[in-house]
Amino acid sequence: MATAVLMPKLGNSVESSIIVSWLKHPGESVTQGEFICSVETDKAVVDVESPANGTLLDVFFKEGDDVPVQTTIAVIGEAGESVEGFRPGGQTTASAAAPDTPVPSATSPTPVIPVRSSESNDTKAISPRARGLAERKGLAWDDLNGSGPSGRIIERDVQAALVNRPKMTPLAQSMVKAGDFAAPAQGSGSGGRITTKDLIPRGAGEVEATPTAAADEVEIIPVKGVRKIIAERMLNSMQTTAQLTLNASADARSVLDYRKQLKASAKELGLQQVTVNDLVLLAVSRTLLQHRSLNSLFYGDSIAQYQHVHLGFAVDTPRGLLVPVIKYANRLSLSQISNEAKRLAAAATEGKSSPSDLEGGTFTVTNLGSLGIESFTPILNPPQVAILGVGSVQLKPVEVDDSLEFIPSLALSLTINHQVVDGAPAARFLQTLSQNLAQIELLLAL
Amino acid sequence: MTKSLMINPDDVRKPSVIQTVEVPVNAYVSDPYLESQKYGSENLVRMYRDMVFIREFETMLDRIKKEGVYEGIEYNHKGPAHLSIGQEASVVGQSFHLTPDDFIFGSHRSHGEILAKSLSSIHQLSDAELQQIMESYMGGKALRVVEKFSKKSIKDIAIDYVLYGTLAEIFGRDNGFNRGMGGSMHAFFPPFGVMPNNALVGGSADIATGSALFKRVNRKPGIVIANIGDASMGCGPVWEAMMFAAMDQYHTLWGEGGAPPILFNFMNNFYGMGGQTMGETMGYGILARVGLGVNPQAMHAERVDGYNPIAVADAIERKKRLLEAGEGPVLLDTITYRFAGHSPSDASSYRDKSEVDLWRSQDSLISYREYLKTNEHADDSMLDAYLSDIQGRLVSVLKAAASLDISPRVNGQSDDIGQMMFSNKFKDRMAEGRPEVLIPREESRLKTTLAKHRFGLKDGKPLPKLQCVTFAEALFEAMAHRFYEDPTMVAYGEENRDWGGAFGVYRGLTEILPYHRLFNSPISEAAIVGTAVGYAISGGRVVAELMYCDFMGRAGDEIFNQMAKWQSMSANVLEMPMVLRVSVGAKYGAQHSQDWSSIVAHIPGLKVMFPATAYDAKGMLNLALRGTDPVVFFESQRLYTEPETVVESGVPTEYYEIEMGEPVIRRNGTDITIVTVGATLYRAFEAASELETKYGLSAEVIDARFINPLNYGPIIESVKKTGKVVLASDACERGSFLHTMASNISQLAFDHLDGPVAVVGARNWITPPAELEDSFFPGKEWILDTIHERILPLSGHQVTTAQGTHEILVRNQLGI
Repeated sequence: MATAVLMPKLGNSVESSIIVSWLKHPGESVTQGEFICSVETDKAVVDVESPANGTLLDVFFKEGDDVPVQTTIAVIGEAGESVEGFRPGGQTTASAAAPDTPVPSATSPTPVIPVRSSESNDTKAISPRARGLAERKGLAWDDLNGSGPSGRIIERDVQAALVNRPKMTPLAQSMVKAGDFAAPAQGSGSGGRITTKDLIPRGAGEVEATPTAAADEVEIIPVKGVRKIIAERMLNSMQTTAQLTLNASADARSVLDYRKQLKASAKELGLQQVTVNDLVLLAVSRTLLQHRSLNSLFYGDSIAQYQHVHLGFAVDTPRGLLVPVIKYANRLSLSQISNEAKRLAAAATEGKSSPSDLEGGTFTVTNLGSLGIESFTPILNPPQVAILGVGSVQLKPVEVDDSLEFIPSLALSLTINHQVVDGAPAARFLQTLSQNLAQIELLLAL
Repeated sequence: MTKSLMINPDDVRKPSVIQTVEVPVNAYVSDPYLESQKYGSENLVRMYRDMVFIREFETMLDRIKKEGVYEGIEYNHKGPAHLSIGQEASVVGQSFHLTPDDFIFGSHRSHGEILAKSLSSIHQLSDAELQQIMESYMGGKALRVVEKFSKKSIKDIAIDYVLYGTLAEIFGRDNGFNRGMGGSMHAFFPPFGVMPNNALVGGSADIATGSALFKRVNRKPGIVIANIGDASMGCGPVWEAMMFAAMDQYHTLWGEGGAPPILFNFMNNFYGMGGQTMGETMGYGILARVGLGVNPQAMHAERVDGYNPIAVADAIERKKRLLEAGEGPVLLDTITYRFAGHSPSDASSYRDKSEVDLWRSQDSLISYREYLKTNEHADDSMLDAYLSDIQGRLVSVLKAAASLDISPRVNGQSDDIGQMMFSNKFKDRMAEGRPEVLIPREESRLKTTLAKHRFGLKDGKPLPKLQCVTFAEALFEAMAHRFYEDPTMVAYGEENRDWGGAFGVYRGLTEILPYHRLFNSPISEAAIVGTAVGYAISGGRVVAELMYCDFMGRAGDEIFNQMAKWQSMSANVLEMPMVLRVSVGAKYGAQHSQDWSSIVAHIPGLKVMFPATAYDAKGMLNLALRGTDPVVFFESQRLYTEPETVVESGVPTEYYEIEMGEPVIRRNGTDITIVTVGATLYRAFEAASELETKYGLSAEVIDARFINPLNYGPIIESVKKTGKVVLASDACERGSFLHTMASNISQLAFDHLDGPVAVVGARNWITPPAELEDSFFPGKEWILDTIHERILPLSGHQVTTAQGTHEILVRNQLGI
């Protein structure tokens, strides 16, 4: 009896994953537990184990295919066994030859899970009204997420996309108006501006290249996997929340002094690698306990306020931005925080994060200070209601006893979801955080 | 008042036997001498002439139908031809004593009746009258054709005119008496008292009774004859018509005038198509016996020998006197026999050739000819001349009728037929005269209702209902108004008088109106509607009432084939100033609580109204009661006791009308449109409120009010604005009129739609007990859930009913 290999569900919110590579190929024998392919979600790359001993009879998807979870991707069995009962309905297959004698699907041991139309661009549904609006405004709707029944794109989706649509260059605007081109939701110009090279020819397929660039000047990179998820999440964040950013700075002398002491500490203590960012994470994890309204998740009709801090921190990886989560950060010591941050960052960079590493955050810290950024506007990671951006340390003139002193300061930018968090509580959080950073030794004593 | 008619147990419990009157069978005894004295040779011979004319006319049709040629003129007639060859004496004898004021209504086999009655009328009318009729009827179109080949006297021209008008009608030509819209089975010509012939077996029984009612109520001269076949004695509506015609109240309660002058003449040719009524499909033995079961006078029933024209003429003369004295109804069993089959396709497998030969040997054209010769009224050469006369006429008439140049058809590509569907006129009164009432308007119940609060809310809070004019009272005001305006107007139905109808809408009318303008009918829905049809096409305004919508099935033919179609089948020769009030039930289970408005929506020729507020109830009934078209007027029982709570100006005390076919926007909105028909409006209001308070959506609520005609303009305008639309009514979802509306909206506003047009109807179940009705009729939640599931997911909405598209598939697969 053959056994189906299903696309695993890697986390609660994961609906599909991309097959990165097939480690085994049809005809090869496999043992139970042996890896047969790698799949990638927006958060992690995971190897899929064989559920049985036998021969890999067939695979139903190519590398690079985006496959809904719980879909049969391959079949393990005895050589010569038919696999037709397992083939997902309507899917393209990796094997070219069509079977001569199809097995009636009634004998299939696993239910065939059809691909929902909302997940397939080919059959993406859009209401006539939404389509009309998109066309009048020159908006390409293929990449929009539909909020109508069964994922149908409806008017409000187009309107939201129009509101958030980046500005267009004047030339791009006139080309769209002329009717031959549609504008994508995101542009590649500065600040996301849509330039002529972003434009999508109407009736694509007939037109082979964009008018402004020859094919060899441009590398076309398909948007998928982590990049696709990031694109959707970022846009979704901007569309669905009311973001407000507050800027402040903290006296960094205490933090820098303490960091010096750590660097100078005995190697056996294992504290030499503690970074300024680790100290900031520690301060945030403690400060949030006094400002729980920022340690919350917002679900539209309810707000979940957390007693413990599960602290996400942004990591720049080759695949794109990932946010691993330090669980119960408020209970961890500085060295524990530091070690956990290093472990999680390394896994993310190597593409080895487990789905649980990337889930469950209640607040996020993103630090661009090491790249010399003085100040920036972080984008919320919904349903979280706040995110802290940390800039570089700068000397700041401060009036001390009638004279000016230049003291090192840490730039802090807090973006909040103003739907849930008012300005004053956010400001008070920043104020407490600044004080805590300015007296980091006291915080460590608590 | 029926209170004056005591049902005394001492009387009704007393033992006795029923003594019946005798029913004469073929009692007429020919006395050539007396007949000669009475009729004179000229008239006796004219009867023969008419019989020959009819025989030859139908022989021509028979040849055309079977051989495609008559006297060298070729024609292919596609339509029907139900011939009465063999029955000529019965129709000619019948028409002899009838005047143009006497009406005959017939059947699918009535060519002979048309010709006989017309020839008799032509004989009686003056040249000037004939000229005037032919010139004015349809602008003299047919006369213009006939004049070209008929260059004899006015009476001769009139004969050719009738032959041509009838044949052109049979051939479906614009010059036909009914522009070809009636055809062979329905042709008629009112100026000669030839009223609609009906293709439904027995269909003329109740219509003719209604026509007789019109004559009785409006004191018009003449009697009315329903010429129906022997097989129609098996039809319920025929019995209902006889019960209606024989009501005691004409004598006990109506005062002077007696009963409507209706004669049920059963043209008894012994076969209903291929079923032999005597000996096979009926049990009456002799049809005239049925009169014994109807009233103590046995309907003055007689069997008459329809093979002797003088016997028939004698019977009609005597019965006409009875009817004019108000002593009807009358039943005649006029026996006759058709040599021809039921239709050209009839191989007469149900009867032996020897039977036909027996009747042929007694053919009235032979026996009556012998009678005329024996008694020296005419000789062979004189009688033969009639055959060549009619053949000559028919050659000219057939040439003209067969020619598409001379006799074109109505242009089917244009909207000519569409324009015949309604008369679209408005008349304050169908005839001049003073309406008969018992008390002046000022003393009527109007003074009570007009003094009530005209709007049911004060500062947003409901006033006591008893102090406000209700939906039912708004209807009463409209009825009372028209009763004081139109002397022809009558209303009837079950317990309409005294009780005021089951829901009290007519409370107060009993005091205003004499019996003949408002009365209780038997529980005979077919006759209630059918007589109203007859009353209306005879020229009177009538309001018939069905107590529950669900009873429409009992009057199916009368609503669907008669009320709906006679205006267009007559090519607008007739008007149908008739309102059928239909109460839509709730709480009374499967056979008293279904909304059948969609069923009439499907039938061409009906105007269909469904008001949902007291303001509209009065304004729309006012509109219906001034029009000349048949209106099915639906009233929800949920609303009768409700005051006006939507139109803030309240129900006007003065007269006003709602514009025909105009939906009304009840609540303005921008995000979604909800269109309702009937009382579902109020559940749509609830849904709209919740959409606003819970989901921040602004719903536009439109009350369609009209089902037909319906101006889609405001609905489409709204959908173009909102892009989303839900349609809701209490009618069962499958086949609901809302699906027609949905289809039209999809086509008219497709590019503006942001989701499918969703229909919310009642479940395709029987209406369950009152306590379970929430699971059957659409509620607020159904509307919200439908929006959420099919059009616009509502953030945080919890569905409580199953309205997803999946349900559509599953339920249809199960047929529920």
